[in-house]
Amino acid sequence: MKKTLEVFRYNPEKDEKPYFQTYEVEVYEGMTLLDALNYIRWELDGTLTYRRSCRSAICGSCAMKINGKTYLACKTQIIRDIKSDHIKVEPLPGYEIIKDLVVDMDNFFDKLHRVKPYHITHTPPPEKERLQSPEEFHYINEAADCILCGACVSACPSAWAGKDYLGPAALLKAYKFCADSRDEGADERLAIVNDRNGVWRCHYTANCMDACPKDIKITDYIARLRNMLVQDKL
Amino acid sequence: MRYKSGYDFSYKLSVGHVAWILHRLSGLALMFYLGLHIWVISHLNAGAESFNKVMAFLNTPLFKVLEIGLWGVILYHVLNGIRLLLIDFAGGARYHKKLFWVAFFLVLILTILGAIPFLHHLHILGGK
Repeated sequence: MKKTLEVFRYNPEKDEKPYFQTYEVEVYEGMTLLDALNYIRWELDGTLTYRRSCRSAICGSCAMKINGKTYLACKTQIIRDIKSDHIKVEPLPGYEIIKDLVVDMDNFFDKLHRVKPYHITHTPPPEKERLQSPEEFHYINEAADCILCGACVSACPSAWAGKDYLGPAALLKAYKFCADSRDEGADERLAIVNDRNGVWRCHYTANCMDACPKDIKITDYIARLRNMLVQDKL
Repeated sequence: MRYKSGYDFSYKLSVGHVAWILHRLSGLALMFYLGLHIWVISHLNAGAESFNKVMAFLNTPLFKVLEIGLWGVILYHVLNGIRLLLIDFAGGARYHKKLFWVAFFLVLILTILGAIPFLHHLHILGGK
């Protein structure tokens, strides 16, 4: 069985404009889209550029736009998950394109750093370590699953329109640390996300949840951040 | 030179995305209606004759049909607004698609039920 891959190509050093190149790939049960891209690069066209590393949905390198929706190439099975014989592969929307499917993620990580994604403590450290009970971990369990692939930010209409919007990934990370029982910097972090380019720019289109390869209910955590901000003021 | 993408119109529409677009459009329609409403009411300032004249103009079948549309738009904006409140305060993000379909079918049913008196008024379903 063959499927057609229509792949976004753009080399800023050579091409004036981006274009699409089609490749025919022989597919088999269990083959992922990343396998197909590897086949193209290794057997058909060595100039195709994309990011990849772990090929098992942990590293978050291979997020791209697949038939109109962002997801991980390595977590998309080419027969089971894609019904159509024609597959359109594009880079993540909303980012600057470096080459072909590779985008500049600097903006993504800058925003992540803005919400202080680390433990802030004011009390002196205990003798061994700061302990957390399973019940306390339960509150951040799902939010801690984020692999920073950037698919959610790319799926978000608010992020396309407002380039300063922190975006779902950074807000999820802010929640993760604010809700962590070992952290003492929630006030600092909440002051950062309490901004028109923070939690209040989310309009609940919930595209981020559809795009998340780890199935994290990101929109719900943005709502919880808002609740943290307003609970004392209602 | 790097190619930069902006608002992505080719992105596949999801339930939440459509709900958001409809909420904006219904909001704009309601703003337009509010302006129109104030304009109509302002005729009272000019006396009964002026008001009766504008009301006679609005008593045409076209505006009756538009009023059914207005009723549907209000219903959608209100019910989706409640859906958004549930996402805000009741963890509704986890079942927001179901909430949308509940709101959508309620809008359909209530619009049809609400249209009956309008249609009676137009003598389509009988009445005086």
